[in-house]
Amino acid sequence: MSLPRFAFILLTVGAIIATAVVIGGAQLPAALILVSMIRTTLQVATPLTLGALSGVYCERAGVVNIAIEGMMLLSAFFGFVASIYTNQAIAGTEITPTSTALSLIVGVTVAILIGGLSGAFHAALSVTFRVNQIISGTVINILAIGLTGYLNRQLFFQGQVPHAPGVLPTIHIPVLADLPVFGKIFEQQLIAITAIVLVVLTHFVLFHTPWGLRTRAVGEHPRAADTVGINVFKMRYANTIIGGMIAGLAGAYFTLESVPSFEPLMTNGRGFISLAAMIFGGWTPFGAWAASLVFGAAQALQINAQGFGIPVPSQFVGMLPYILTMIALTGIVGKTSAPAADGIAYEKTGG
Amino acid sequence: MRKLFMLVALLLVVAGVACTAAPTPAPTAAPPTKAPAAPAFRVGLVTDVGKIDDKSFNQSTWEGVQKASKEIPGVTEIKYIETTDPKDYDKNIAQFADAKYDVIVTVGFALTDATYAAAKKYPSTKFVGIDQFLSKDKDHPDWPLSNLVGVTFDEDKAGYLAGALAAQLSKTGTIGAVLGTDVVPPVWRFGEGYRAGAKAINPNINIVVVYHSDVGFDKTFTDPEWGKTTALSQIDKKADVVFGAGGKTGNGALLGAAEKKVFCIGVDTDQYLTVPEAKGCLVSSAMKLLTPSTFNMIKAAKDGAFKGGLYTGPVGLAPYHDLDAQVPAAVKTKIQELDKGLQDGTIKTNVAPAKP
Repeated sequence: MSLPRFAFILLTVGAIIATAVVIGGAQLPAALILVSMIRTTLQVATPLTLGALSGVYCERAGVVNIAIEGMMLLSAFFGFVASIYTNQAIAGTEITPTSTALSLIVGVTVAILIGGLSGAFHAALSVTFRVNQIISGTVINILAIGLTGYLNRQLFFQGQVPHAPGVLPTIHIPVLADLPVFGKIFEQQLIAITAIVLVVLTHFVLFHTPWGLRTRAVGEHPRAADTVGINVFKMRYANTIIGGMIAGLAGAYFTLESVPSFEPLMTNGRGFISLAAMIFGGWTPFGAWAASLVFGAAQALQINAQGFGIPVPSQFVGMLPYILTMIALTGIVGKTSAPAADGIAYEKTGG
Repeated sequence: MRKLFMLVALLLVVAGVACTAAPTPAPTAAPPTKAPAAPAFRVGLVTDVGKIDDKSFNQSTWEGVQKASKEIPGVTEIKYIETTDPKDYDKNIAQFADAKYDVIVTVGFALTDATYAAAKKYPSTKFVGIDQFLSKDKDHPDWPLSNLVGVTFDEDKAGYLAGALAAQLSKTGTIGAVLGTDVVPPVWRFGEGYRAGAKAINPNINIVVVYHSDVGFDKTFTDPEWGKTTALSQIDKKADVVFGAGGKTGNGALLGAAEKKVFCIGVDTDQYLTVPEAKGCLVSSAMKLLTPSTFNMIKAAKDGAFKGGLYTGPVGLAPYHDLDAQVPAAVKTKIQELDKGLQDGTIKTNVAPAKP
């Protein structure tokens, strides 16, 4: 991640937030808008950040993961199903604090496992059987739409559906959350905070551990990595599964953190936006996070501008991050490139 | 080996597509056979791209059809088709029409033209278009048709009452509304009615109205996560009553309000019954009585009393339920007064029928 690009991305986030403060300043105190914008930005960016991190793990190891969207959707669905049936098993039709806590833990765990499982499936197709990785990812995406849509209808349309136990709690971060005015920014739920922790953790793992070095080696030059004794297949499998698990956590955001219900197609393309954010952020954890914030801030601006009665078409604001991604891809603001072996299946013999 | 796996992958894709198609119940999967000769009376319903179990709009209409099948003797068969793509409106209506269903209910403003076209093409079938306002114009030159009723509601009146209630309950002087796309006139009328009602109570009140117009018809009513995010953003800015109006997107806003423990107001049906998670915050709902309206139309068709033209269904506020004690008596009286005034025409909402 080149510094100019990182600065460019962060400046963009700042500019979007400043825009909201300026246009709403006549109606509301600036601090109130600022705090609300930042809080909303962080919230909206959560699934995008996780999705982009999922992409970073997979692609750094040389596996293109276009299936983030499908993985999110599958995990959102199965995590939700697991949580409501766990609650039913523990407390029947009641919702008690214990049953809520337990069923949310089960729900999130199932979501992560389902994500890991679909990651393993993607790895099996694309690493072991060397199916074109775009095809493999597309298969998972289409499968996810069909499977969740069908099961959703079967489980939830007829008869008595168990009550949803609620959503993950808002975490009270000591000191930060107690700040006057700005404390509200840190009123975030569990997965939103985990996402930020994972950004830092991923950066450390990728760039400061032997594991990260090996991961990057198999993504850049698998043959060279192989000759020095790194098991290319194992590394690719492991990273794709980890990526899947993080996408699973992103799925949990939709049904266990945001709203306690599942809708067919509720991920609404955020998996693909995550991919854009990952590329915009130059395949680095911090870059991907910053880019996710751009998308988050754009949506926050959209919500706010309309509330202020500003007649800018909301579609235009929504378009902004994509235009910025394209600008970033032209290389004007610091050049980055994909891992050299990204998307190329590795064969031990030949080639 | 590689080829084999491409084949497997291909099969999975096919299976996936089959699964996507499967949720649409019987009519699509197996087209209904020709009508039996017996005096069967069959009712088909075509939804908009929202879902039949949306806990508000499509569901209430479908409940009207279900009520008809239970309570009107002779209604032998009811079915619905859930539209997944706006391009399929004509096809879905034709499935029922070709199978000679007696009444076809189409749900939603977006199906207006498709319903009109079908009513012309199948003159012996009765059509009920929910939320479909028609007039004699270049798109509908032959209006009115004897076999088509356009059922509309004065959503602006229901929204007006909701706004008046919100303005009286607000302590901060800021109220919010989270709605589906304003391209759909009933949604627009709800939102602008809300604004008008609140202004009527307190001209200085700060009203934050946000429509989900930035996405297509296929997403605007099924995005609860966006609804909740938007509601929270309004609550950040001191809104203490949130009106959620727009299928599942609106339901998301109700859940956001419930989480932050501010008042919320539902839409279309009494959402106390349909969104139990929001019970703690739901002070009322701006209702349009879809179920009885649909039922009445089907009954008229069955009794041979079906008349083509426009029909205005009733609207109103739902009971206060659990929060009854928190609504002061003076507020209740005021709402009753406004309701009466709106009904006898002494109070006007001054809301345009559709976004200009």
